Amino acid sequence: MVELANVTHAYEDETVVTDLSLAIDPGEVVAIIGPSGVGKTTILRILALFLEPSEGEVRIDSEPIWSLSEDERLQLRRRIGMVFQDASLFDATVARNVEYGLRVRQSWRNRLRDELQSIVGSNGTSEAVTEALDLVGLTDKVNQEARSLSGGEAQRVSFARALAYDPSYLLLDEPTSDLDPRNTDLIEEAILEARDRGIGVGIATHDMHQAERIADRVAVVLGNGIAEFGPAERVFEDPTDERTAKFVSGELVY
Amino acid sequence: MLLEPIAQLLPAVIEHPFREGYVRSIIYVSLYVSVTAVAFSTLFSLPVALVMGFSEFRGKQFVKSIINTGMGFPSVVVGLLVLFAVSKQGPLGAADLIFTREAMIMSQFVLATPPITAISLAAITGVNENVRDAAHVLGGTRLDVALVVIKEARYGIATAILAGFGRAISEVGSVLIVGGNITSSSGISKTRTLTTAIQLEARQGQYDTAMLLGAVLVALVLTVNAIVVRLGDEGAMR
Amino acid sequence: MPIQRRQFLATIGAGAIAGVAGCSNSGGQSSSGAGVAGETLTLTTTTSTYDTGLLDEIHGDFEEMYGVTVDAVAQGTGAALESARNGDSDVVMVHARGLEDEFMRNGYGINRRDLMFNDFVIVGPENDPANIQGMDSATEALTAIAESESAFVSRGDNSGTHTKELNLWEAAGTEPGGDWYQEIGAGMGEALNNANQQGAYTLSDRGTFISQRSEIDLTILVQGPIEGGPEILANPYGIMAVNPGVHENANYDLAMAYIGWITSPGAQDAISNYEMNGEQLFFPEAVSEDPNFQQYVPEGWSSNSTDG
Repeated sequence: MVELANVTHAYEDETVVTDLSLAIDPGEVVAIIGPSGVGKTTILRILALFLEPSEGEVRIDSEPIWSLSEDERLQLRRRIGMVFQDASLFDATVARNVEYGLRVRQSWRNRLRDELQSIVGSNGTSEAVTEALDLVGLTDKVNQEARSLSGGEAQRVSFARALAYDPSYLLLDEPTSDLDPRNTDLIEEAILEARDRGIGVGIATHDMHQAERIADRVAVVLGNGIAEFGPAERVFEDPTDERTAKFVSGELVY
Repeated sequence: MLLEPIAQLLPAVIEHPFREGYVRSIIYVSLYVSVTAVAFSTLFSLPVALVMGFSEFRGKQFVKSIINTGMGFPSVVVGLLVLFAVSKQGPLGAADLIFTREAMIMSQFVLATPPITAISLAAITGVNENVRDAAHVLGGTRLDVALVVIKEARYGIATAILAGFGRAISEVGSVLIVGGNITSSSGISKTRTLTTAIQLEARQGQYDTAMLLGAVLVALVLTVNAIVVRLGDEGAMR
Repeated sequence: MPIQRRQFLATIGAGAIAGVAGCSNSGGQSSSGAGVAGETLTLTTTTSTYDTGLLDEIHGDFEEMYGVTVDAVAQGTGAALESARNGDSDVVMVHARGLEDEFMRNGYGINRRDLMFNDFVIVGPENDPANIQGMDSATEALTAIAESESAFVSRGDNSGTHTKELNLWEAAGTEPGGDWYQEIGAGMGEALNNANQQGAYTLSDRGTFISQRSEIDLTILVQGPIEGGPEILANPYGIMAVNPGVHENANYDLAMAYIGWITSPGAQDAISNYEMNGEQLFFPEAVSEDPNFQQYVPEGWSSNSTDG
């Protein structure tokens, strides 16, 4: 379980997140919903273990991670995958993008050997890469240049890239907000598939309907704190907080 | 192809006013000194550009202004400084570097580093922050992220290296001072480059010969540029 | 800076750079007393000397004889002496007696020998506006040029030739100045080209003039002593070894071998046989039946005088 406990974070003078607590368990999808600019990205970056909050604790499996050494933290970070709103692919082939996570986890000797082999051309595509691309339906594009992909395809590759090294947790920051319905569908299917494999998924989104479709639990972030955190059904149909009710019903327009 | 017969005739045409092997040897020295200097300079400049691009530290503005000053720094002054350093009277005197190619490499290193650093820095900071974040969050160490950034900025970095190479191989004054423009008595160059050979012909008033060597130098620079650009294109087409 | 600090820096520098530079041969005598074989002699000289091609022509013999390499660095008179002064060369060959004398007086140079000579000539356009053709006094010719304000190109680069030119003006009692007198700060070849384009006068060493004669329209108007002109236009060359007492790393053994060789009858013959465009350029001086003590000491020195 990855969890945030009473986390507050401020950039310069501006407090972005206040006294926030939430958790993601393996094998579930937690949607973090709220209007744009409310701090969802910050929350994800803290969950991804690469932003240290000004206050509060971040724990994985009950271990507070910011009191660990850089190396130990790196090992934990490597159990997490992340997909950004903009696909942020490397200027290389799809295969090289997807295998990045696998590559950096290898020893330098192996990496060197693989690099030399790929120059000579005697490398095939690894299984993990093929599987990950299969999940998002893009195995036929494995050797295509990333920059020639459409927006939806790029995002799907980004998803495969985050999944290829079999992370325990997957975080997605508004992954489908720029995509057409078909690609959105494909991504959502892949998310559910990941969950079914036991991965703990956190997804930040401002699309409530998306949250309704795929989330097991929902955290509603309004203002600076969490207004509500609980099972999706309850949050949507019977929220405890008034603001949540308004947001969910579309009354609070942002 | 047209190029082949020309390529065969060319050495004969070029060598004509000179002794056998002369032009070949000065081309070799020019390339050896400049390529080595640029290689060392790149190895030095890239980490500097990475640090400059992605971290804050005290004195960062100062380093930046040194780099910018270095871009326009008179090369002959660099030669004097290197001469001072490597002369037998100077701090590095015991290393016996005066009138050697290594001293020439030193001065070209100093000249090539500012443009390589500055242009690489521009390329590196131009890399999308999200890409950098992705490399980091997908499990890369700082070194992994640096390598990703370098790969992303590779075309800009190639431009930087070409700029540094251009500056190095066109250098006359400083390599003349620290190298001594020496050839063996049979005309094989020890520290004579295309540029210092041109200077020698010019001071003797042999302007035609100087122009000939000048054409060779220009052809050399264009060839190097073409090769690098071609490699870049091939990478893009793969 | 204090000696210790310099040595410390030198040690660090040497340690850091020695790997890049490869083995330096100043580090120690590792070869078994095979004399000078395999070593390199650094000789600094003037650009006009080097540009005649004489050195490239004759050095091969010396290199073969001793199994060594001669690095001839053409720098210009002042720089050649300065390099020697700094210990960056082992032997220096210039043609500026006054500066050579100073070099010796300050202890940097020893074992000087007269080597060879050629001469200077005053060249100019065929129409000779200052009417100096055939004059047997160089100073009078220069005075005539100054008075007629005819264009004159000066090297203006503190080279041996330039120094000679300035000495001539001084001897003529005229200070050159004005639009007609142009200091171009360049080598002899360029100066000749420049004078050629303008139809100006200039002072040139005979060697460079000969080598460029086919390409320019200037003619010799005042001869040098080789062709019967005034002695004042003589251009004698001297050779000196760098004093190992001042620079212990100077390759004195090899420098002396070189001086011995180049002042030997064989090499002196080779020098006199060297031709450019069919003309002899240099006249050997080192081999002589009669004694010439002045070559070893600064001019005018005697055991009674106060210097040395």
